[in-house]
Amino acid sequence: MTVKERERQSTAAAATRRAGPGREALFAVGGAVLAAAILAIFGLTLPANSYLLFSGFLLFLFTTQSLAWNLVGGYGGQTSFGHATFYGIGAYTTALLQENAGLHPVLALLAGALGAAVFSVIWGYPLFRLRGFYFAIATIGIAEATRLVALSPLRELTGGASGFRMSTAGAGGRTSQYMTALALVLATFLTSYWVRNSKLGLGLFALNMDPEAAETLGVDTTRLKAISLALSAFIVGLTGGIYARAFLYINPNDVFAFSVSIAMVLMSVIGGVGTLIGPILGAVIYVVIQDQLGAAQITFRGQTFQFRDVQLGLYGLLLALIILFEPAGLVGLFQRVAGRFRRRGGTQAVAEQQALLRNETGDE
Amino acid sequence: MPLLSVQQINVFYGEVQALWGISFDVEKGEICTLIGSNGAGKTTSIKTVSGLLRPRAGSITFEGERIDTLPAHRVVERGIAQVPEGRRLWPEMSVEENLELGAYTKEARAKRKQTLARVYELFPRLAERRRQAAGTMSGGEQQMCAIGRGLMSLPKLLMLDEPSLGLAPKLVAEVFGIVREINQTGVTVLLVEQNVRHTLELATRAYVLETGRVALSGSGQELLNDPQVQSAYLGH
Repeated sequence: MTVKERERQSTAAAATRRAGPGREALFAVGGAVLAAAILAIFGLTLPANSYLLFSGFLLFLFTTQSLAWNLVGGYGGQTSFGHATFYGIGAYTTALLQENAGLHPVLALLAGALGAAVFSVIWGYPLFRLRGFYFAIATIGIAEATRLVALSPLRELTGGASGFRMSTAGAGGRTSQYMTALALVLATFLTSYWVRNSKLGLGLFALNMDPEAAETLGVDTTRLKAISLALSAFIVGLTGGIYARAFLYINPNDVFAFSVSIAMVLMSVIGGVGTLIGPILGAVIYVVIQDQLGAAQITFRGQTFQFRDVQLGLYGLLLALIILFEPAGLVGLFQRVAGRFRRRGGTQAVAEQQALLRNETGDE
Repeated sequence: MPLLSVQQINVFYGEVQALWGISFDVEKGEICTLIGSNGAGKTTSIKTVSGLLRPRAGSITFEGERIDTLPAHRVVERGIAQVPEGRRLWPEMSVEENLELGAYTKEARAKRKQTLARVYELFPRLAERRRQAAGTMSGGEQQMCAIGRGLMSLPKLLMLDEPSLGLAPKLVAEVFGIVREINQTGVTVLLVEQNVRHTLELATRAYVLETGRVALSGSGQELLNDPQVQSAYLGH
C-alpha cells in the first residue's frame, strides 16, 4: 500500500474516531444493543429449521470475525493473512476438550479461545519485527504451515484429511446457536468500540500511521500489536469453537483454510478497514455474495466455471480495485458522497480560513 | 555529573558510518545545541539518544544510568522527549489527540490533565484549535503542537530537531522565544539547528558537528565570536 492510500484509509479511521465520547457513545452502544434486541426477537419468531435462522447464525459468526480482524488489521494496520490459525485452533481445542476430555462445553469454548490467543503471541512477537508486506507474507506462511501440521503430523489428534466428528450431545438447537452468535457479535462490537476510544486504540492508530514517532512518545509498539492480535485471536478462536459445536464436524482443510483468512481481510476491506461500522457492512456483503453465488456457475465457450473455483481470483481482483480506488471501503465511499452534498456550504468557510492563515503566517 | 552524557559513540546506517566517536555533555538546566550543516550527524545523534538508533560503540548515560540499550519507549519513561524533524504529527487526529499521545507513558498519563492545561497556557492557539485535525493547521501551529506533544511526557530533557525548519522569519523568532520560556520552567533543552546565529545566541553550550565528528565546542558566545564559525556558518 502506498503512503497516500494508507493516508486516505487512516483518514476515515481517524475521522470516525475524532467524534469523541458523549452523544456518539450513546448512539453506538445504544444502537448496537437495540439492533441486537430486535434481531433476538426476530430470531425467536423463526421456526427452528428455518434457513434464515441458520443464515443469521453464519452472518453473526462472519461479522464477529470481521470485527475481530479489524482490531489488529484495521486499527493497528497489521494486515494478517493468518487468522485461520486462530479459527482452527479454537475449533479443534474446543472439539477435542469437549469430546475426548469431557470438559464442560462453555469451558471448552473458552479454552479454545485462550489457546488461539496464546498461539497468536507465539507467532506474533517474532513476526511483528517485520513491516508491511513482509508481515503479511509471513502470516500466510504461518497459516499454511499450521494447516499442514494439523493435517499430517497431528493426524492422530485432528483426524487428518478425513476430519474429526463430534457426538451430537450438547450441540444445542439452531435457535440457541443463533442467540450465542448474536451475543458474541454484540460483545465484539462493544469491545471494538471500547478499544477504539481507549489508550490502546490511540496507540494503535498512532503506530499504524507512524510507528517511529509513536515509539519515541513512549508507545511500546510491539506490545500493543501483540495485545491487539491476542484479543483478535481470542475472539476468532471463540467463533471456531462455536462453529465446531454447530456443525459437529471439522477438518483441517476447512478450518485452517487460506480462504478463511482471506474472508476476514476481505470483509474489513470491503466495508472500510480501521472503521467501526465498516467490518459489519463488509461481512453482510460477503455473506450475501457467498449465499447467492456459492453454487453459481457460468458456461463460457463450452467451458463451465464454478464460482467456488474462481472465487479467490475474483475476490483478489475486488481487493485490488478497492485498495486502488477507495481504500477506506464502503465507509469511505459514503463519507465521500456525504461530503459532496455538504461541501456546497462549506467551501466558502474553508477558503476564508485559509486566507486568514496565509495572512497570519506570512509566506507559508 | 551532566544530565546527559554521550561518550565516543559510533553509529552506522547499515554499513555506512554516520557518527565517528562523538561525545557531548548536557548539563541540567541548560540549553545545549548541536549545530552543523546537512549530513553532519545532528539528527543521527538525537535519534541515537532517543533509542531509535543503536550505537555500535560508546555509551550514553542519563542521570548516571546507561540508556543506550533501552528501546525508544523506555527512554521516554526516563524523561527524555524528542520533537522530531518535520514535526511528525498525526495529521488526521485532532490537536488534543496528538497531545494526548505525548502523555502515553504511565506517569505522564496520570498527570495529563494538569500538563494539558499548562501546554494550553503556553500555546493558547492550540487550545483554540483543540478539536481541529492537526494537519489542517499552519506550519507554525503544527510546530507548536509538536513541541507541546513533547512537553506532555513531562520530560527532564527536551530534544528539538530543527524546530525552525520551513517557518517564516517572524515565527522562527517566536519558536526560539518559546524554547527559552520552556527552559526557564526547568526543562533542560538539547536543540539541533541549522539556524546557527539564533541558536548560538540562545545556547549555554554548543557543539559544532562536521561529517559525523565534533569539530568545535564551547559556550554559545564563544562560538559566535569564533572566526571559523563566523566564516563557515555566519557568512562573515
